[in-house]
Amino acid sequence: MMKNTFTLTFLLFIIWGCASAQEATTSEDSLNSSASSKPVTTIGGYGNVFYQSNKNLGTSKLDLERFVLFVGHRFNSKISLFTETEVEDAKVAGGESGGEVAIEQAYLKFNLNPNQYIVAGLFLPRVGILNENHLPTQFNGNERNYVETLILPSTWRELGIGFYGNLTNLPLSYNVGIVNGLNSAAFEHGSGIREGRFEGRNATGNNLAITAALQYYVNNFRFQVSGYYGGTVGVSASKADSLGVKSGIFGTPVGIGEADLMYSNHGFSVRALGTIISIPDAADINKAFGNNTPKEEYGAYAEVGYDLLYRNGSLNNKQLILFVRDEKLDVNAKVPANGIKDETLNQNHVVAGLTYLPIKNVVVKADVRVIHTGQENPNLVVNSNTLAYQQNNNLINLGIGYSF
Amino acid sequence: MDRRGFVKQSCFACMAIAAGLVVTELSSCATIPAYKAAIVQNKIAVPVSLFAQSNLQIIQAHGLNYNIGLQKEGDGSYTALLLRCTHADNPLVVTGNGYHCNLHGSTFDKEGHVTNGPAERNLKAYKTEVSDNQIIIHLS
Repeated sequence: MMKNTFTLTFLLFIIWGCASAQEATTSEDSLNSSASSKPVTTIGGYGNVFYQSNKNLGTSKLDLERFVLFVGHRFNSKISLFTETEVEDAKVAGGESGGEVAIEQAYLKFNLNPNQYIVAGLFLPRVGILNENHLPTQFNGNERNYVETLILPSTWRELGIGFYGNLTNLPLSYNVGIVNGLNSAAFEHGSGIREGRFEGRNATGNNLAITAALQYYVNNFRFQVSGYYGGTVGVSASKADSLGVKSGIFGTPVGIGEADLMYSNHGFSVRALGTIISIPDAADINKAFGNNTPKEEYGAYAEVGYDLLYRNGSLNNKQLILFVRDEKLDVNAKVPANGIKDETLNQNHVVAGLTYLPIKNVVVKADVRVIHTGQENPNLVVNSNTLAYQQNNNLINLGIGYSF
Repeated sequence: MDRRGFVKQSCFACMAIAAGLVVTELSSCATIPAYKAAIVQNKIAVPVSLFAQSNLQIIQAHGLNYNIGLQKEGDGSYTALLLRCTHADNPLVVTGNGYHCNLHGSTFDKEGHVTNGPAERNLKAYKTEVSDNQIIIHLS
């Protein structure tokens, strides 16, 4: 019954969006060339290459980490298409591990009015800062922060429909979305919920998730709170019963809460984020799939940056940002009775470096990441002949990136 | 002091600074005035009196797919900007220091200049003039 209600809501949402978006364009539309109904195709993209030296391993690597092409098409003033196609690690070859080709976004956008729109397809839920703002020119450091990689699995895209809007009289943005849920059978020890994402590929439709976020802008601040709640078992009820997990829309759920703030003024910038993930039925997941799923994960970071060229009046729009970021995360903050605690997943990272933008869409980065983790759990050591685990490590990163 | 203690104390110091900044900024929190207008002969008329309390008005013109940000400048002139991101046409959100696009993160200052990419072009600006206590925005 509940599932049918959701399906009906989902369909009504799409029909409403299409109907609203298909309103005949008024003569006033044509007054404004930028709001005209003429079809327009746009191309954009981003990418980054970086060098990383790992002190403990004594190794270094060079990688074209991401190459992304963005293609958008405006069918008319009300309906647009947005797509992003990503190649990771430059090459994907049959029979070889590594590399990935993926559709990062592919959705239709239906403009309802100047303040509201609907998206339908593969899109990025508004959770955290990085998920929507992941271009290399938009964050400091060569690597994306680990909190929004290991705890919040950015970039996180799922299939569904989202409603976005801005209030007229208040600097408040809001959104709510329904997307396919996660797959708890694919959760892996050490990466939280990350491997449970479907990312648009054969997602199960029996379990769904709701996401919502509020953003409030005041002077030079942006505050955001966001949440996610969804089921993680998409198999049939009988199969779920035999596995001892709950199926259904919100069966065996994952709940996420997140809050963040961003500040930027006179060359000074601050970002801070905190998030917590709750998996109350982790014990059932472990019993069914044996993947050592935690009951709770959390992460937080704070970053301060200053543009050293700001006093020069940002000549030629150049920026040289000196930054430091402290990241604290624990991928298994709480484990169920049938789980094994791994303190190496209790991590603290301090990242410091320079971000140089000769122009706004090109970046040169240099940073050092100092990592400290908890002790290794001997119960998790499969091969005792390996080198002793080292709780401290340093990574040195140098790289370039672009976006357009 | 060990490394852990240093990191912890540094975090507390940053949080204290941030809290101070938040309190300062929130004290001057304000709403955004919005004005609904019609388009007549490619023009939008906005009363000058609306700017008695605020230097920014959001203009919602019937039939336009994007709002217009109308800013009163220090010299008494007015800047009218189409609040449409020049990167991928997304509507912009008003922030304390300009405009922000939620789609890819581009930002623009109050004059419509790009302050953060990926947008590369400044916001579309419309010609304005003041006549009979009305600000006339020319859309063509």
